[in-house]
Amino acid sequence: MWKRLALIFLLLVGTSALLSPVIAPFSYSEQFRDSANAPPGGKFLLGTDDMGRDRLSRLLYATAVSAVLAPAAAALSVLLALLACAFPGLVVGGLTTICLSIPWIFLFIILRAELPLNTDPSISVLLTFALMGVAGWAGPARVFSGSIREMMESGWMLQARSAGIAGWRIGLVYAWPHLRSVALAQFRVLAPVYILAEASLGLLGLGVAEPMPSWGNLLRDLQHPDMVRQNPAILAPLLLLMLCLLAIEAVAVKTHEKEVFR
Amino acid sequence: MSRESLLSYTLTARYGDAVVLRGVSGTLARGEIAALVGLSGSGKSTMALALQRLLQYRGGVAEGSIVLEGTELMGLSGRGMRVVRGRRIGYVPQSPGLALNPKVRVRTLLQETWRAHEDRRMEPGFAENVLGRVQLPGDREFLDRHAGELSTGQGQRLLIALAILHGPSLLIADEPTSALDAITQAAVLRLFADLNRESGTAILFISHDLLSVAGIAHRVDILHEGTVVESGPPTKIFGEPEHPFTRALVEAMPRRP
Amino acid sequence: MKSLIAGLLVALSALAASPSELHFALHGDPRTFDPLHVEDSNSEIVRYITAGVLLRVNRVTDQLQPELAESWKILDGGKAITFRLRAGLKFSDGTPLTSADVARTIQKALDPKENSPAGGTLKGAQGAPEIVVGGPRDITIRYAAPKPSIDRIFDSLGIGPEGNAKMPATAGPYFVAEFRPGLSLQLKRNPNYWKRDGSGRQLPYIDSIRIDIQGNRDIELTRFLRGELHLIHKIDAESFDRVVREKPGSARNGGASLDSEFLWFNQAPAKQVPEWKRKWFQSSAFRHGVSQAIHRNDLAALNYKGHAHPAAGPISTANRTWFNAELKPLPANPANAAKLFAQDGFQLKDGVLRDRDGHAVEFSLVTNAGNRIREKAAALIQDDLKKVGIKVNIVTLDIGSLLERIRKTMDYEAALLGFTNVDSDPMEQMNVWLSSGAEHAWWPSQKTPATPWESRLDALVMEQSTAISMAVRKKAAVEIQRIAVAEEPIIYLVNPDYLVAVSPAVKGFQIAVAPPQVFWNIEWLKLE
Repeated sequence: MWKRLALIFLLLVGTSALLSPVIAPFSYSEQFRDSANAPPGGKFLLGTDDMGRDRLSRLLYATAVSAVLAPAAAALSVLLALLACAFPGLVVGGLTTICLSIPWIFLFIILRAELPLNTDPSISVLLTFALMGVAGWAGPARVFSGSIREMMESGWMLQARSAGIAGWRIGLVYAWPHLRSVALAQFRVLAPVYILAEASLGLLGLGVAEPMPSWGNLLRDLQHPDMVRQNPAILAPLLLLMLCLLAIEAVAVKTHEKEVFR
Repeated sequence: MSRESLLSYTLTARYGDAVVLRGVSGTLARGEIAALVGLSGSGKSTMALALQRLLQYRGGVAEGSIVLEGTELMGLSGRGMRVVRGRRIGYVPQSPGLALNPKVRVRTLLQETWRAHEDRRMEPGFAENVLGRVQLPGDREFLDRHAGELSTGQGQRLLIALAILHGPSLLIADEPTSALDAITQAAVLRLFADLNRESGTAILFISHDLLSVAGIAHRVDILHEGTVVESGPPTKIFGEPEHPFTRALVEAMPRRP
Repeated sequence: MKSLIAGLLVALSALAASPSELHFALHGDPRTFDPLHVEDSNSEIVRYITAGVLLRVNRVTDQLQPELAESWKILDGGKAITFRLRAGLKFSDGTPLTSADVARTIQKALDPKENSPAGGTLKGAQGAPEIVVGGPRDITIRYAAPKPSIDRIFDSLGIGPEGNAKMPATAGPYFVAEFRPGLSLQLKRNPNYWKRDGSGRQLPYIDSIRIDIQGNRDIELTRFLRGELHLIHKIDAESFDRVVREKPGSARNGGASLDSEFLWFNQAPAKQVPEWKRKWFQSSAFRHGVSQAIHRNDLAALNYKGHAHPAAGPISTANRTWFNAELKPLPANPANAAKLFAQDGFQLKDGVLRDRDGHAVEFSLVTNAGNRIREKAAALIQDDLKKVGIKVNIVTLDIGSLLERIRKTMDYEAALLGFTNVDSDPMEQMNVWLSSGAEHAWWPSQKTPATPWESRLDALVMEQSTAISMAVRKKAAVEIQRIAVAEEPIIYLVNPDYLVAVSPAVKGFQIAVAPPQVFWNIEWLKLE
């Protein structure tokens, strides 16, 4: 019941985000300078920000940016980690340790600095998330390699070998069901982390840059908590973020439980 | 005994610097049931793995010679060894809780074990037949179960079914009954005896429990501190044990009041 | 009965003598307490409050007033200045302050080994001045050639005692009593401070100052709103509005500040900028067009919440001494902008402005990351220029790579930045207007001036900074501003207001636009 509700909610958020160019009442960057900081209601359902931009439209576009790209980046990290584990030498060889100790923030600074200045903003956003995805492989890879090591030592692995089953079949049929739930768990952990990471990159001006909205830079409005009293609508992105995280959790946990207790 | 020789081996095995088997040698004839009895830590499981050249997966190294049906296994490539495992040597590990992948269905386990050595599909009814031989139901509901959902007894039977799927000439059973209650234990032992009788499969039965193997083994080898200290038919081992360790073992057995 | 009265008297006198303490925060540790080695703004504030100076620029009237020197005189047409010190001056530790201390301080500042920033200000065009001590209270400083602002430069020269103490004795209103790095700074009143009020009471009024080191401005604001701090001496527009809402009596707007926000185009011959774009950037009509398309009023109203004034040119309207009063802030006029573009051969087709050769007008605007007001200003400019057919790509960069681009590699097209002026004298901006200057933003360090007007600017800047006559200097400054606006190599946008939060308990402050804006007359402040 809850799972279905959560799923429907996520689908709703996803589709409305993807359809934002169609359903958003205004462009995310259109400035109604005479109606800056308008309260919710009337022409602007959630009011406007300090530049007179429609908060609802910005929220919809921001959702397309954050709620779609962050999970995509998380999926990329998990995928890369799985690929890396296909070459166990790499992982065991300490590459993960090196990668985990690199201060990745510098990579984002370099990316921003080295990108041609007239790069389309949407491309630089995509690259930012792609880099986040690539940079994040080492964490899950370490988890995977730990669980693979555990599997290597397991009784069932030995049993499978003693039955003469080829290595790749063991990986695919025996190990994958275990890795899959680890991968799902990693994805579940990383997706919200990336949403928040984009937000903090935004605080450094390295995430999604003005005028494009993201949950991260919409949340920057909350830095001045007394603004909330003026227009509670600025809490909308926070609310949406929390609901999405809860929904992801609900969907994932239920799926997981089902798998174990059939 | 003038049966045809199936297996002869001489093995030294160690984990790092710790030597576990010191030139243990032995033979097994076709259709023979030999029991290898020793205390825990005497190298029994090492022996089971070393014979299949699986010891490296437990961090060990085995040297020596293993001749199975005239082939020197020590000279085989990894690929060559893979063909031997499961097809010519079946292995029944201990504790089904660990040895069965809990997330894989019974059907898949059977299919994968089949596919390891056969390109053609399993004939319909084959799986049911094999399961029937180990007294497991072959119905769809059972085949759809995950291995994690089986009882220990069922799991042990399934392990046996997987080991005999390709009709190997040698079955290595490592403490196959230690995890079972007394009644199931007896049933599984009977199963091994039946298999031996019906298919002529030779069985190397590894156990710490002299009494439980006495009933089915044609010969008993006593393993102590990495070597076989005494070998002979059960009657001799029980009747006139020679080695002090064997004697101690026999005396420690529970007697009928 | 007698004892009761006596007790009451003791209590009353204790009440009268209850020590007052001013409480505020700095955003980082002062790096030094040596007045000659101040380079960071935190040390500068401490220096201002503690070090004694010969004379002071009144931050409100912009006139000089006597301090340690009771009088002074400029001699030989601006080549020399002679000071007469007050009688009986002492440092905070009780040692007498004489002209020997002044001479030693100046010599120390000029010593190349000391590498003192104060030395740079003191040096003349032809090297170090000659210092003549005429008596314990008389000293003359003599240059080989006339020295501009020969008097005003002494506003920032803190006279120090002999020796190299880490926390030296001072001759200003306070001295540093305790410094706990990263935590706080305790200043105590200088018991030997010379200044007295009209009734003969020794200054300063406030006994001690506690300065907390607080890097987080949100916490600083919260503490101010809770009443734990008496003032925040520079506050941004958003925080200011919060003070207005929560503590209306504490928010003070000092009007336009000396600071300015501006944008400029890269005119340097950098290979990263296509030839045809450079042609636009080097055209004054194009620059004027862009300038007139921007709604400065909206920038002030939306980005600065109304706490900024549209800029009229390189010198803030607040700078009464030097501002060219003929200049007016440019109102937005997109129609006129379109006309200017058309004159230069640009054409607007389907909402896209194209040059003669058909190139769509599009440029990137770099600004520093993390500065929210500036990022949003960029968004506003982007929107304004979209309406005249120009596409702007906003790029926020960390300050390091931004400076690398605008100073070294010249790999950028347009930049949006701000400038903080600490002095009202436009001499401070010399490096910007001199074509050979390193901060000649649009084309730094030119070997020879690229245009006749830049060559004219070079001459005017030299005149402004070297002439002795104030009238001549002002005339040059006015002309510099006229040319700067006529050619508009830098498009000035707004002068943010000087905003401050001061508790109503603090009395006697006069808000000034030049730093240290709110406590420039700290010895006169009272706490109620």
